[in-house]
Amino acid sequence: MSRMSRAVNGAKGGAPEGGGLLPNIRSLSLSSPSKHPATDPSSEVCPVCKSGTYLNRNMRFLVNPECYHKMCEGCVDRIFSHGPAPCPIAGCNRTLRKAKFRSPTFEDLKMEREVDIRKEVASVFNKKQADFETLRDFNDYLETVEEVTWNLILDMDVEETRERLRKYREAQKAQNSSTTRRALDHSQASDKRKGATQRKALDVSSGNTPEPFATNREDTGFSFRGLIKRKTPEPPKSFDPFDGWSIQPQYHILQDKYDVGWMTAAGKDANHSAGGYSMPAFYSQVLCDAFSGFGVFVEDEIKARETQASMDAGVGTRNAAMAAQGTKDVNMDDVF
Amino acid sequence: MKFFIDELPVLFPYPRVYPEQYAYMCDLKRTLDAGGHCVLEMPSGTGKTVSLLSLIVAYQQFHPEKRKLIYCSRTMSEIEKALAELKALMQYRTEQLGYEEDFRGLGLTSRKNLCLHPSVKREKSGSVVDSRCRSLTAGFVKEKKERGEDVDVCVYHDNLDLLEPHNLIPPGVWTLDGMLKYGEQNKQCPYFTARRMMPYCNVIIYSYHYLLDPKIAERVSKELSKDCIVVFDEAHNIDNVCIESLSIDLNEDSLRRATHGANNLDRKITEMKATDAEKLQNEYAKLVEGLREADEARDENAFMANPALPDDLLKEAVPGNIRRAEHFVAFLKRFIEYLKTRMKVLHVISETPPSFLSHLRELTFIEKKPLRFCAERLTSLVRTLELSNIEDYQPLQEVATFATLVATYETGFLLILEPFESATATVPNPVMHFTCLDAAIAIKPVFERFSSVIVTSGTMSPLDMYPRMLNFSTVVQESFTMTLTRKTFLPMIVDRGSDQNQITSQFEHRNDPQVVRNFGNLLIEFCKLTPDGVVVFFPSYLYMESIISMWQGMNVLDEVWKWKLILVETPDAQETSLALETYRTACNNGRGAVLLCVARGKVSEGIDFDHHYGRTVLCMGVPYQYTESRILKARLEFLRETYRIKETDFLSFDAMRHAAQCLGRVIRGKDDYGIMVLADKRFGKKITQLPKWIQMGLDQKSQKLSVDQAVSQAKAFLREMSVPWSRHEQEGHSSWNLEELEAHQQKKKLEAITGTENPVARRMEGRADAMEIAEEDEFGGHGMDDVMADLDD
Ligand code: SF4
Ligand SMILES: [Zn+2]
Ligand SMILES: [Zn+2]
Repeated sequence: MSRMSRAVNGAKGGAPEGGGLLPNIRSLSLSSPSKHPATDPSSEVCPVCKSGTYLNRNMRFLVNPECYHKMCEGCVDRIFSHGPAPCPIAGCNRTLRKAKFRSPTFEDLKMEREVDIRKEVASVFNKKQADFETLRDFNDYLETVEEVTWNLILDMDVEETRERLRKYREAQKAQNSSTTRRALDHSQASDKRKGATQRKALDVSSGNTPEPFATNREDTGFSFRGLIKRKTPEPPKSFDPFDGWSIQPQYHILQDKYDVGWMTAAGKDANHSAGGYSMPAFYSQVLCDAFSGFGVFVEDEIKARETQASMDAGVGTRNAAMAAQGTKDVNMDDVF
Repeated sequence: MKFFIDELPVLFPYPRVYPEQYAYMCDLKRTLDAGGHCVLEMPSGTGKTVSLLSLIVAYQQFHPEKRKLIYCSRTMSEIEKALAELKALMQYRTEQLGYEEDFRGLGLTSRKNLCLHPSVKREKSGSVVDSRCRSLTAGFVKEKKERGEDVDVCVYHDNLDLLEPHNLIPPGVWTLDGMLKYGEQNKQCPYFTARRMMPYCNVIIYSYHYLLDPKIAERVSKELSKDCIVVFDEAHNIDNVCIESLSIDLNEDSLRRATHGANNLDRKITEMKATDAEKLQNEYAKLVEGLREADEARDENAFMANPALPDDLLKEAVPGNIRRAEHFVAFLKRFIEYLKTRMKVLHVISETPPSFLSHLRELTFIEKKPLRFCAERLTSLVRTLELSNIEDYQPLQEVATFATLVATYETGFLLILEPFESATATVPNPVMHFTCLDAAIAIKPVFERFSSVIVTSGTMSPLDMYPRMLNFSTVVQESFTMTLTRKTFLPMIVDRGSDQNQITSQFEHRNDPQVVRNFGNLLIEFCKLTPDGVVVFFPSYLYMESIISMWQGMNVLDEVWKWKLILVETPDAQETSLALETYRTACNNGRGAVLLCVARGKVSEGIDFDHHYGRTVLCMGVPYQYTESRILKARLEFLRETYRIKETDFLSFDAMRHAAQCLGRVIRGKDDYGIMVLADKRFGKKITQLPKWIQMGLDQKSQKLSVDQAVSQAKAFLREMSVPWSRHEQEGHSSWNLEELEAHQQKKKLEAITGTENPVARRMEGRADAMEIAEEDEFGGHGMDDVMADLDD
């Protein structure tokens, strides 16, 4: 409850110093002090051996992505140590292996399963917005992917969907390798021709319910509109030692020539030019001397040095994170 | 009186003007002419509001573009006061000019204060009023009614549709009370009258939140044009208002309720699919095109607004994977489940938004982009589903707002997860603070959008702190004092007791019996000598509780009890207002009372103790923030790194502004008088951080006092104050009539010609002396001249 903004805004009645000890302040936060029984760790019981965390605080629960039935570590050791065995939960009967057991990330095991499915789907569908011609096409793609995921999560047409996923993965693989091959061949003309026919085919099916690729060509499982054809990766840009930092002068413009009598004369003087003396270099030097101090505010620099501030909100936020964590000291000495 | 500031004729509704009021108006005009922002400090009770309004209205009427004034204040009573002043001003103008100007001035506050519906207005909580009103007035309700369905509506709202949309209420200035009366007579809703008339007003007076809280501002203040003049009055706490409007706290219970809300949404979607699938399909079709299109139908009633979304995002189409209603709800659920797993961690976590996002993505495959759209997508869904019991979805809305914020801002925000309530707690009660570190974020759109923003209050020292914290630049910064013929307030710093023992609330000493006893003696002595009311401020509830219980053992309270009734502020608003009422009654009859309260509590901010309600204010210790707070530490670090404000500078600034607020509570006008005691030895070193007008009264002989010295000074002061005294003595010096004012203007003009700026003239106008150089300047306190002289040798 030591949240500053609350505490400072007195209207909410927060207490600036250790207000957490006052019972009535609690009502300010969203929480009601009552605890939901399901999240109370003391009430978790293993469905197999019926021992609970109440007696054994260190008890761990594991699940197997085969069926997501939860049981305690002890049971897993006991039942599956000698090789694959059927799940002990009544009515399940799936064969489970010990190696596949893991402790779940989510309290809600449905979510655990959903995330596993998403992982699987994401490994197949990994296109970025840049792979599409328009944002609309990309959004349609995202929606289709979401529909596929939903089918798997809701156990609808699982077999068929998985089959299509498999086909799509293979098609992608094939395409990838063909793109590379073609890129090697530099056969631009054939590339274009093939792209056009493919494009036409892709237009046939799209929209909300993806249909199997129904043309006389090979079945790739899914097809999407507006895909930009894979390009050969652009050659890396030439190395920039200043990393985009401009060294152009900010406060003056360098002219080729300055018409000042003595200088022009000096420039023409063979005694000078013979020694390799270059007027433009001289101009640039002089102007730099004159103007490079612009935009440097000594007072600010001194202040910045004192406070060791970078004036960068990104650095500020990262440091603030460390300060809150306690890994960075904040000068809180009594200021008085 | 009528006078000119340069070419501008100003009608001022009083026969005399204070010099500082005049100077204040000159500075305002300069700001408006230059088209920039300003920070002005002017003591309370010097007629700040009327000066502001007189000048700005004069400016509006004089210039053809008639820039609109948006005047923001904090509380409902301040809004009502300002409206009353404006009304009087306009009346005066009409009398002087001989005709009525075409002018509208309206105030806006929450539905709770303006509702007329017989059953809705009886609801106690503001959010219930809001949501009940929405379910009576939402667009779909009207549609249903037109289709002939039997639905509940609010006749006060529907009557408005029968009126001309730009003339819902006759021109003139309407106080909130007046609006309520007019609304009752004509059976029209005052709240919506004010909302809909805002584009046609010359002056709008409402609370900060309508402009600063992005969740509200988007709805209410969107149409205001760029050349509006924005005033933030009583703005000394504006940085905290900004931060608070973008900070969110989540805990296990709110997440559980959010899940509940999401499940409800699921059910509603299924229902609608069965009965009215077309509506969902329509929403879908709109979202495919982009949020703005879907927004076309956005009515003034919408469920909530998005937090500070960049404009380009609103034009973009909603990401494909949350376009369908059911997909979106599942997306939210997944996000909530993720948050729940984070809550299980048993150690403190503090991370930046990017690191949060990358962890989130790794675990749940939630990308940043759809996350950003959450708040807006939820609004659209709630509208499509035509939900009426909107308050049930409050926690879900918070989660969605959090999602949008965390995906929108990479910097200036921090996530802090604290599993335990305190260091000693053993049962986890985790809270996830999503805390805004940068006050500039919330206020940035205001400074960007409006050409003149005026930030003003009675306590804003040091003036440059606000432009730095809020990241804006000013054309004028000025601090005014009170020009007084006689000293009507006595500030004192007491640093030791009569036994020469120190007085301090410093952590190491705060519970020493001698220190506590000295605080007690101070209280007893001032209760004895003060007629009527005494107000006492402690740094925190915790300290107040402990000191009171120690006093009980020392018989301090029994002694005080002989002189005054004792009342105590508590964190409970209702209890406190009862205590205040009793306090007032006791001040009105009999010996008066003493009110013990907290420097950052409700009393210190919004309550005035004018005249006999507060003759003495005691500040017991420095009102320092609780420095163990992680959020505070983070904010300090951020301020240092980003805005170069040293941690210690900020802490002492913050403590001193709260101390100054407390002191200011007892002086509410020039004819008021009172004693201000700062009881802590540490105040002595920070005098320069007090507002200039208090500093001026705090001369050498009222610093470093012992309790008995302070008592004898206070007695002498009260004796002086009891001498009869009339307003006439102010004349010419601390208030001017027209001739005196013109004489002053003449003098200024001469000075301007001769180019001599006279410090005496500055002081005449109540301007504080130009900033003294801080204790240690870069030349080691010798001043630049000395250093240069040394060099010359
Ligand atoms: S429309 Fe006005 S009167 Fe009717 S319920 Fe809403 S706030 Fe109340
Ligand atoms: Zn078990
Ligand atoms: Zn199983």
